[in-house]
Amino acid sequence: MEFEFDEDQLLLRQTVRETLAKTRTLPDDELWATYTSLGWLEAPPVELAIVLDELGYVADPTPFLATATWFAPLAGRLPGGSGTGVFDGAGRFVLDADRADEVALLTAGGVVVVPGAELAAQRLDTFDLRLHVAHVSAAGLLPGVPDLALMGLAATTVGACRRILDLVVAHVKQRQQFGVPIGSFQAVKHKAADMYVAIERARVLAYYCALTIAENDPRRHRAALMAKAAAGECQQVVYRNGAQLFGAMGFTWESELHIYLKRAVAGNLLLGPAAVHRKALLEMLAAATPETGVAAL
Amino acid sequence: MRLGANPEVEKFRAEFAAFLDEHLPTAAEATDRSKSSSHIPEWARRWQQTLFDAGWLLPGQPPRYGGRNATLEQVLAHQEELSRRGIYHSFNPQGIGIIAASLLTFGTEEQKQQWAVPLLRAEITASIGMSEPGAGSDLAGLRTRAVLDGDHFVVNGQKVWTSGAHDADVLLTFVRTDPDAPKHRGISALLIPTDSEGLVRRPFPSMTGTDDVDFNEVFFTDVAVPKENLIGELNNGWAVANGSLGHERTMLWISYAERLEDLIRDAPSDQEWYATLQMDLQALRLLGYEQLSGGRNPAEVSVLKLFGSEAVQQATWHALEERGQDGLVHPARTAPPNHMGHDVFCNSWFERYARTLPATIAGGTSEVHRNIIAERILGLPR
Repeated sequence: MEFEFDEDQLLLRQTVRETLAKTRTLPDDELWATYTSLGWLEAPPVELAIVLDELGYVADPTPFLATATWFAPLAGRLPGGSGTGVFDGAGRFVLDADRADEVALLTAGGVVVVPGAELAAQRLDTFDLRLHVAHVSAAGLLPGVPDLALMGLAATTVGACRRILDLVVAHVKQRQQFGVPIGSFQAVKHKAADMYVAIERARVLAYYCALTIAENDPRRHRAALMAKAAAGECQQVVYRNGAQLFGAMGFTWESELHIYLKRAVAGNLLLGPAAVHRKALLEMLAAATPETGVAAL
Repeated sequence: MRLGANPEVEKFRAEFAAFLDEHLPTAAEATDRSKSSSHIPEWARRWQQTLFDAGWLLPGQPPRYGGRNATLEQVLAHQEELSRRGIYHSFNPQGIGIIAASLLTFGTEEQKQQWAVPLLRAEITASIGMSEPGAGSDLAGLRTRAVLDGDHFVVNGQKVWTSGAHDADVLLTFVRTDPDAPKHRGISALLIPTDSEGLVRRPFPSMTGTDDVDFNEVFFTDVAVPKENLIGELNNGWAVANGSLGHERTMLWISYAERLEDLIRDAPSDQEWYATLQMDLQALRLLGYEQLSGGRNPAEVSVLKLFGSEAVQQATWHALEERGQDGLVHPARTAPPNHMGHDVFCNSWFERYARTLPATIAGGTSEVHRNIIAERILGLPR
């Protein structure tokens, strides 16, 4: 196995970072036009994970995640414009169903793609104001979550968590109390270190999941359950420690911390929180024989 | 990024597996057990020599030091094949992994021939004298003194936690040679034979039982140590200490992965902790593998140490707790003993849990590693 990014992947990450640093004040439609013109929607799974990690870092407000990881794996193609997928069997909490140009529905009769306008889904009020979520009513829906959708939310959550840690590190380095930066206190350092470890654990599992999808490896579903569960667990540590270390300012609308805290929580809750995926993993493991060593990677 | 085995590594792995199939001692040969980390039973000495002679002991080293110039990825495959079979390549792990490895990095040609080769061939064993009653996490605060007097050093002071010292032939001892220098700069490394006059060892048992004796206090009273036993340059012992532990640290995570795999074998469960264990194991392998590729911040090794040791501790706690009242039974066997390994990992669930503590204390406590991550990776002020 090779688990390092190659030069093209490193270059892509650099490009995405530079682009997002420049576009942060643009309206949603201009952001969307930028992403599509750069070909990010066509990115294969590992490259897509790189893009989504960075989009999580900026709490992206566009329908990129839904289009690339909810619509595409279901429909087997990219939509004309934006898209999303309905695959939970109940049509509840569908990302971007209120604004997608095309919606792929998983039904008893196979995947059906309908124009988004036809569904007339109403956006729900949620705590993450940059996120679009809606219920969809359609007949004959079946459950069947694509691995890519789990990976997408995992990578997004990891990105949001990285942002939270960066904001927290910057804060505790400059915030002075008792005559010293609070980042020099061990109690603060240890919370920050635990955030870092949680992110590292979730990061490798998210990218490993992307890699198994890219190679259509038989372990892809197990990897997807692990990635989504680990991202949710990471979010719990990063939210709790991050909000705590940021102090009272983190509870206000004045600081931007809340934007990323909310994106991280949303990433955990969408398609079910960590506990749901741990349980699914257990059911899967009960039927499998364990593998040992890196040779098994 | 890509999945799948590297053919060069798999060829190497297959070659080693074939060697093991042919040469592994049988259970009938391997009846005597190792009593401490510096006690190698006769059969295990022969086994270690066989590995040395065939270049399978420390595969990353050149052939004259028991290796075959293997790549890091091949060294990992070697460790995994041993681990998969529950095999110890040496029952003096610190002797070959830390002390001989340090000699090969910092020693003179004479020192390599006089000490490293006999250690690697299991003709002698060694322990490491680092911690002191007043110098644990603050290792650089050590106070055992060595004063050069003509052709020898005179050593006075005390070490503690010196694992296996009562069975060792020689101690790699870190001593203060310049009391006036800043604390990291006045330390030197000496090889001290345990039969030196004035050296007294007092072994003491661990909490798991009075028969589990590995720890020692070692007292030095005017111990004369020949000048030629200085390893590396005078007052450059801190580099030797870091180098020595460096050898150990990059691959340490494999032992945690091994413990997690043991739990998968011995304590399968339908409870949530078991899913966490599987995720921890997978993440640990990926992080460990990523670290091998190089080019990363060396402080990332602290992530592996902290994460791996705490994952093992947490999972083993759950395995114990899930036994309920049956977990009270001790001594007990919780897995079939492996004649090539240590019995301790097959003992009672309580003992298995208790034995996860050294992993979060030795080699830097979890608290020290959190500080390292915060300061050297996240850049928080000291």
